[in-house]
Amino acid sequence: MSQASLMIETKDVIKRVSTNEGELQILQPISFNVKSGESVAIVGASGSGKSTLLGLLAGLDEVSSGDINLDGEPLHKMDEESRARLRGEKVGFIFQSFMLVQSLTALENIMLPAEIAGLPNPKKLAEKIIEQVGLEHRAHHFPNQLSGGEQQRVAIARAFITKPKILFADEPTGNLDSANSKKVEDLLFDLNKDSDTTLILVTHDNQLASKCDRQLRMSAGVLSEQTPHLKVVSGE
Amino acid sequence: MMALSLAWRLFKHEARRGELTIILLAIVLSVASVLSLSLFSERLQQALTDRSAEFIAADSQLRSRNPVDENWISEASKYNLNTAFQLSARSMVFAGDELALSDVKAVNEAYPLKGKVTLSDIPFGEGIDTDLSVPLGEVWADARLLQSLGVSVGDKVEVGEAEFLVSQILSEIPDAGFSVFNTDPVLLMNAKDIASTQITGPGSRANYKYYFTGEASDLDDYYDWLRPQLNREIHRWTSIADDDSPIGNSIARAEEFFLLASLLAIVLAAVSIAVAAQRFSQRHFDPVAIMKTLGATKSTVRTIYLIQICFITLLGIVVGAIIGYLIQQGVVVALQDRVEVALNTWYWRPLGIAVFTGVTCALLFSIYPLLQLFSVPPLRVLRKDISSTVSSKFLQFAFSGGAVFLLMWVYSGNLKISSILFAGGIVLVLSLLAMTHVLIAVGRKLGSGSMGAWTLAWARIRRRAMGNSVQLISFAITIMLLLVVLVMRNDLVKQWRDQLPEGTPNYFLANITETQKDGLVEHFANNNIQYEKFYPVARGRFVAINEEKLRTEITKEDEETANEGRQGLGREANLSWGTELQSGNVVIEGTWHDNWQEGEPIPLSIEEGVADRIGIDLGDELTFNIGSEVVKAQVTSVREVNWQTLQPNFFFVLHPKAMENFSATYITSFHLEQDRKNEIAPLMAPFASVTLFDVDARIDQLREIIDQVSMAVEFILILVLVAGSLVLIAQVQASMDERLQELAILRTLGLKGTSIRFSVINEFVIIGGVAGLMAAFANEFSLYLLQTNIFQMPFSLHFEYWAIAPTIGAIVVGLLGAFSCYRLLSLNTGHLLRKMV
Repeated sequence: MSQASLMIETKDVIKRVSTNEGELQILQPISFNVKSGESVAIVGASGSGKSTLLGLLAGLDEVSSGDINLDGEPLHKMDEESRARLRGEKVGFIFQSFMLVQSLTALENIMLPAEIAGLPNPKKLAEKIIEQVGLEHRAHHFPNQLSGGEQQRVAIARAFITKPKILFADEPTGNLDSANSKKVEDLLFDLNKDSDTTLILVTHDNQLASKCDRQLRMSAGVLSEQTPHLKVVSGE
Repeated sequence: MMALSLAWRLFKHEARRGELTIILLAIVLSVASVLSLSLFSERLQQALTDRSAEFIAADSQLRSRNPVDENWISEASKYNLNTAFQLSARSMVFAGDELALSDVKAVNEAYPLKGKVTLSDIPFGEGIDTDLSVPLGEVWADARLLQSLGVSVGDKVEVGEAEFLVSQILSEIPDAGFSVFNTDPVLLMNAKDIASTQITGPGSRANYKYYFTGEASDLDDYYDWLRPQLNREIHRWTSIADDDSPIGNSIARAEEFFLLASLLAIVLAAVSIAVAAQRFSQRHFDPVAIMKTLGATKSTVRTIYLIQICFITLLGIVVGAIIGYLIQQGVVVALQDRVEVALNTWYWRPLGIAVFTGVTCALLFSIYPLLQLFSVPPLRVLRKDISSTVSSKFLQFAFSGGAVFLLMWVYSGNLKISSILFAGGIVLVLSLLAMTHVLIAVGRKLGSGSMGAWTLAWARIRRRAMGNSVQLISFAITIMLLLVVLVMRNDLVKQWRDQLPEGTPNYFLANITETQKDGLVEHFANNNIQYEKFYPVARGRFVAINEEKLRTEITKEDEETANEGRQGLGREANLSWGTELQSGNVVIEGTWHDNWQEGEPIPLSIEEGVADRIGIDLGDELTFNIGSEVVKAQVTSVREVNWQTLQPNFFFVLHPKAMENFSATYITSFHLEQDRKNEIAPLMAPFASVTLFDVDARIDQLREIIDQVSMAVEFILILVLVAGSLVLIAQVQASMDERLQELAILRTLGLKGTSIRFSVINEFVIIGGVAGLMAAFANEFSLYLLQTNIFQMPFSLHFEYWAIAPTIGAIVVGLLGAFSCYRLLSLNTGHLLRKMV
């Protein structure tokens, strides 16, 4: 496996947090790689450290020790500003609670990453992608005027507008009913496939996880590989 | 460009969706209240200053014992000042065999620059304004002079070497002053005639007054030019601001009140902006985290939100300025028949201050919340419990305090007062903070009973207020500021009204001889006239302290003797004597001389101001020349004298023993109703040698000004009350956001709307009551500082507000809470939960 084809490389990543009782290590040393275009599901119980790992991989948080390279760029050496720039250029996000800006319309929410990244004609790009998610008729509605499923479709459109190299999704169907979950799943995987994006998906949902190329299980801060044919690189 | 466009879209949508209402309202409120207050008070003050300027017939006066250099006057025109001139000298006026001492005033055509000379058709009749000047060869004479000389209009009188035709009865000149001592009747003539009288030769006691009007800045510039050339021994520059008369003092206090009310309005506005900015910031934590997650750098986020705050500020300022102007204009139009306001004048300073207030409040009070906002980490998108990484109460107070201090300094232009108020404010906030914690601790015990609406309310207060005592303090400060303005207004207006109670004497009588006294008493009784006490008076020259000779060559016996006398040495002074301490006088050092024993030095009581200025202490021996006799007395007491009252007051009061060899003349005063005014001439006819002094016009003017000032103060009180109420609403609204989550949960869990509503109302009732109680205490502290240090008023506790403030606080805050709660609980649970997202 050449270095160039790796989207994520992690080595001995540890996360500690300060608590009233002292320092707590919430991630044991984690080392694993994700290839470009691969889809990986991280599953595990609540509090197992899935979201913490997602935050570190996406550059939203800093590692306590260890290395993370994202598309060849060393996240662990970057400051917040550089990580923000990197996120803007290469990363897309989808969250359980949609995380739309309430005072912007659906279309404006979709435009937002393109505007921040300084892409030309963000409005045109947004109009194109909102059609792809089937919400052109809701373009000028505000998030609180949309259903949960619609809001998540807007979030998916927003995630794909900059054609990110890697997409992080945190429980994308966690707040949706089964019908909407299905729609969102299909949309997510279709767009992912079309744009050849690497997908890191955190979920409780085994059925959703099974759609990914790989599944990693997180338990008490220890990551283990679930798919036997791939190398397990976790824990001590 | 992206930031601008995004900021504009955020601003547009949020404004349209009502999300900016509170912060906009706060800025609008600050700008509107400051603009309306400042503009109104500026207009009113201008009107009052103009009115007051009438009392010195100009904006400023230069008084001199010699004619001044002509260049000084011609220089004034270079500063765009108008000038007028008056020469006054005491001189005998003759009419056939009759003669009377008169205060001859020779004025040029420009006199008076402010106010009007009034003439009357009949002696002591109603005065009518005139714009005429005294024609050459003619004089206008005071009715008292005509009475003394036994002449009337059309007759001739002699002044010095010249003869003049009496062409008018002079009723009043604007700068006549208030003193009733040794005021000779005025004879007004044209300045060009004075040379022919030859009364101003060497050795004469002529006084020269040069009057100036113009823009305040031009007057200041001119005075700066003139000052180095003035000789303190000879020249004296005065303006209405230096006026120590009851009017001058009333106006000075009114101005201080306006300043105070405006400062408090600024602080109120600042509190509301602080509350609103905090809320604005917290509501934007999520959008900032989202933007950062999507790749926005800190500087991008900073630019977007700073631009948005600029949009909000700009809109707030524009709307606030319009509303402020309309409020002020509305009030001015409504009051224009009752209050004299310079309606046609527009002042830029209030607009400047209002805009500056809006910008400073919006930016400085937003800095800390914005710093918090900018520091929100992107990780918040995954973990809602993470908020700002900036949490420094010191920074918060530094920015908020800095803003308040800056505003107070800019507004008052007085670093000292601003520093005192600011330091007092810090002490107050710290005390309130301590009180809050004590009260909450007490409440913890009270609220530890069975679970009910009260317990729930106390529990919420304890949890929230411990974490955020700022809210309780801001309620307390708001109520306190309202109380300060309310109580100050009540105390001020009461003091003004007390100054001129019904039946205030409007006529003074002087030169009453011992033999006339009893006859006059009987005459007044027969004519149903209520008269005041008779005070014995003698004119004495103050010549030595402890045998140390004083300068005596400076003598100036113009109408301002009372004021002048306090400022110099060696002047002639009015001495009185008696063993009864005059009302309004308080002995502050030594003992009053009602227990004098034969053989002891003759005691004397001195007014504290003159004692300070001349450096006289208890035990000093003072020597006076009275006629050809020498009187020595020892200072045994120092008195504080209330100069605000329109009753005769004396710098020196001797024991009667000192004066037993002198025949006294007396002064007294009486009140004559307006409808009996025409009786004055026949009433006083049997006592033609007694000098009558009519102060009715003066009292009317003073009363009118006091009424106007009181009315203006009422308006300002209402405006500050409205501003304060809006701040309370903003505070309640802001705190409702925090309660939203809890309400939604309680509602979802099935708790009855009534129970929730009661618990929220109870919570607000408790907060309002506690804040009101804290405000009542803080009010006393602030009033003590203000009344003793700035307003120079006696301080007393206001116990009634200790009950009123908590009650009103509980009711008002409770009602506001009930209203907000009703609005929220009228939403269904789903909607409520969605609002939380």
